[in-house]
Amino acid sequence: MGYLNGTSVVVDAILTKKGRELLARNDGSFRITQFALADDEVDYTLYNPNHPSGSAFYGEAIEKMPVLEAFPDDTQIMKYKLITLPRGTAKIPVLNVGYTEIKLKQGASLAITPQTLNYLGASSTFEQSGYIATIGDVRTMSSFKGVGINTPAVNNLNSTTTVGTVVSQTVIGTTINLSATTVNTLFGSNTTLKTTLTIVGRDSGARISVPVTITKTNV
Amino acid sequence: MSFVKLAPTDFVVSNDGVTAPAWTTGNPTLTSPTPSSLTAPVYVDMYASGTTTTQYSIAYGHISGSAALLYNGLVPSQSATRTIYSQFRNLVYADENSSFNFGSGNTASVDIYAININRQCYKESLFPGTFNLRLNNGGTIVNLTNDSNDATTVTYTDAGRVFNLVTGSNGSRATAADKSGATGSYGMFLPDVGLIILNPRALAAPSAQGGIGLVPTKALAGDWGNTAEYNAGKLASVLAFSGSSFTLNSYETISSDYAFVRVPNNQFNYTTNPSIISGSGALLFSTMINSPQTYMTTVGLYNDNQELLAVAKLSKPLVKDFTKEALIQVKLNW
Repeated sequence: MGYLNGTSVVVDAILTKKGRELLARNDGSFRITQFALADDEVDYTLYNPNHPSGSAFYGEAIEKMPVLEAFPDDTQIMKYKLITLPRGTAKIPVLNVGYTEIKLKQGASLAITPQTLNYLGASSTFEQSGYIATIGDVRTMSSFKGVGINTPAVNNLNSTTTVGTVVSQTVIGTTINLSATTVNTLFGSNTTLKTTLTIVGRDSGARISVPVTITKTNV
Repeated sequence: MSFVKLAPTDFVVSNDGVTAPAWTTGNPTLTSPTPSSLTAPVYVDMYASGTTTTQYSIAYGHISGSAALLYNGLVPSQSATRTIYSQFRNLVYADENSSFNFGSGNTASVDIYAININRQCYKESLFPGTFNLRLNNGGTIVNLTNDSNDATTVTYTDAGRVFNLVTGSNGSRATAADKSGATGSYGMFLPDVGLIILNPRALAAPSAQGGIGLVPTKALAGDWGNTAEYNAGKLASVLAFSGSSFTLNSYETISSDYAFVRVPNNQFNYTTNPSIISGSGALLFSTMINSPQTYMTTVGLYNDNQELLAVAKLSKPLVKDFTKEALIQVKLNW
């Protein structure tokens, strides 16, 4: 006879950079209302359905993985979310934004309308709740806006100005409009600026990350 | 669906009191601290030995500004010692006309020593029952504590709780009737503001009367004068003497917010992790179509805008499938 394990796991949480920013803003935006789960560091190719010891051991290599500590950078964690789909799903939703890399000249604009593939039985669909788009360094954009979703909470988020050094900005919309910065000083002696655009489907949880390069044209 | 709303009943707030050594050395007893200067005009910082980290500060205050140089020779009685006396009088009594009252024998003290514990050391408040101050003035010793264990009722000032300083240890007086007599009590212990006020008259008394013979200069009527006497430095040198020690713990209330994350059997059984799918989104393992397995490692807490506010990691990957449920208690410390 042995002792049963406890029925719950207790884990300590840390605030993310975004959490600290919203806490400092003191406008009520720091209010935890929902959760999501993720498996960022798991490599599912380690899953072995041919394990000689049987199905109980298929995930042995994954289960023995030591887990890293949490990162406070909210753009680098919770990347791959666990999602709820009907049993028997053979294809997982993925996003398509039409680009594998975004290259913009200084001052140029681009509208991105993401689509979700393999979601709710459709080969391609636009998610009803829209998409969350996060730019890693908002200084690289003179304008970064989400349009197409007009709930009060989303309008509030989309109208929020983020200031500071190398601070990400998040907007929500069915279409994301980007305009590259016209400011020369950001470039220093470089001819390009690089950042990352991350888009997550609000309904599906599907995620795509696209590198963004801004090329200096003003002399 | 990847986000799940938390119900109000999923949150629990807990407040726990935590005590710890006050000093940055991690030891509750501080010995041989290093004074910043024995001739500082206003206050002396006391560093942990071998560091420049301030543990506490000592100041001397005089009701008429004696024992310190005037700020301006044309303005009488305005000096650092008067400023200090007025500062602490206002803090403790909230009355600019009060004098420090150390009880019978010194109900209107003309001077005080103030020991301010550094805020990072005392955190929220001083923990009364752990206070022990051993003063050794060249072999004349007194062991002080507060009477927090003996006091049947707690007295409050404008600076919060106040306890008397008595001879004894760990919050209990050594004898039932502690000295007071001609000089009044040894002082006050104000845990809520991290402050200890010492009665210079009690410390100035000879050993036979319970003092240590530490006499501040230019303190008593008839001897007042505006010369730099550095009385704070004199107490600092007693505290820095090898036979002296200062024992103290801090007290802090840690407020924790617990969020209970409930993961039902029919949710979170698939993942957007790219290592489990091909380029078209098809699962790599056919066994996972009807018996999917995911391995959660991270819990993210979001606001209504789906902005990630806080994040927690599990100690190891937790397997999840249609036959398993999980309850994860996420602790947020503020």
